[in-house]
Amino acid sequence: MKNHGWNDQIKQVLDGERELESLPPELRHEAEAARRQLLEAIDRRPVTLSDDVEARVMARVRSRATARWPRAWRWLSAPTIPRWAMLVPLAAAAALVLFVRTTQVPQTNGQAQAVVGQRESVYVRFELYAPRASRVALAGSFNRWNPAATPLVRVGPDGMWTVTLALPAGQHQYGFIVDGRNWVPDPAAPTVDDGFGRRNSVVSVNTINGRIL
Amino acid sequence: MKRLSLYLVMLGGLAHGLAAQGDVRAQLVGRVSPDLLQLVVTLADSAKALRLPDAPLVNKALEGAAKGVAPDRIALAVQGVFGQLNTAASVMRSAGAAPTAQEIEAGAFALGAGLTSNDVAALSETADRNHPAMAVLQVAGALAALGVPRAQTVGLVQAEVHSGLPLGDLTNLPAQVQAAAASGVPPDAAASGLERAAQAHAGQSVQPKGRAKGNPHRP
Repeated sequence: MKNHGWNDQIKQVLDGERELESLPPELRHEAEAARRQLLEAIDRRPVTLSDDVEARVMARVRSRATARWPRAWRWLSAPTIPRWAMLVPLAAAAALVLFVRTTQVPQTNGQAQAVVGQRESVYVRFELYAPRASRVALAGSFNRWNPAATPLVRVGPDGMWTVTLALPAGQHQYGFIVDGRNWVPDPAAPTVDDGFGRRNSVVSVNTINGRIL
Repeated sequence: MKRLSLYLVMLGGLAHGLAAQGDVRAQLVGRVSPDLLQLVVTLADSAKALRLPDAPLVNKALEGAAKGVAPDRIALAVQGVFGQLNTAASVMRSAGAAPTAQEIEAGAFALGAGLTSNDVAALSETADRNHPAMAVLQVAGALAALGVPRAQTVGLVQAEVHSGLPLGDLTNLPAQVQAAAASGVPPDAAASGLERAAQAHAGQSVQPKGRAKGNPHRP
């Protein structure tokens, strides 16, 4: 601010250190002039608004507050600290998200020749000697026990039927279906009780780090 | 954390859970009776709660339907599979392990092949870094399925693991028993021979260093 060379007593009034009335009469007029000059410099004139401004502003605020979607979005996106009670379903949900589903892709081992296919799966050839059969199929845990999913092909005149499947690592149970009705276990594979009074053949494909054992 | 993120995660989890249940239902619908379907869905939910795989339950139901078995009997078989999975998981967890789904299935398979829960516990404790529990249990189950007596199966697998032989030798045991059986050797006799061989290898492997075999050329 520019130094006007005011009297020290006037400066005290301007600084609020003493009252205007305490000045000698000859300085009061000069002090009032100095105060006016300062107020004009900082332009502290009071602002007056028209009467309808407040009404218009409030109407706008209320309309935003009652709008459904903006309000819903603000609620959803508002930062919040989860309460402990909220962490329980959160943890359950996270556990479900992280739940690793085990895919049941059947594989057979048997005495078939195994060849590395895609990662952790092998090609396994199934064979059945059934000279009188008109059709043979393979059903097991690898094809969801679907009798129509994996037909075998007759090779040569000796009655040998065969099919080759890519099977992932694991242990699988299966059986041959001869002529669409007779379930026959693989004579070349171990068998276990199927729980229905019959035997299932078992094939194991063991791979560790993608290597067939 | 924003509320939106929180609820999206929860919604995702719920959707995943429903989808998993839907998977079971979708695999069975049209293949089994409605009552059996509901039973399997219920058991699958219980399996999830117990951290058991549910695929074997679905497979057993599908297998029964494919074989034309009556629904009541399929229901019993599915419940039996559930019991085997639960038993296998329980004994492995009691031994301090955190079995994977495949290890639980391998344990259930071993039980189904005739081993006991004590056998499964002993075998899972036998497993080590070089001989994973899944392979140990699968081999034991396969040996039992081939007709090797239960106690002999456990002894053979344990001897093989302790012998220090590679994992491939362990997983080849069923094929060796099969080959022996094909040439007329009973499974128990074949298993005895294999166990002796494993023990002999273990004895060789613990032979003190520096004690070399005698030089046949030395007088």
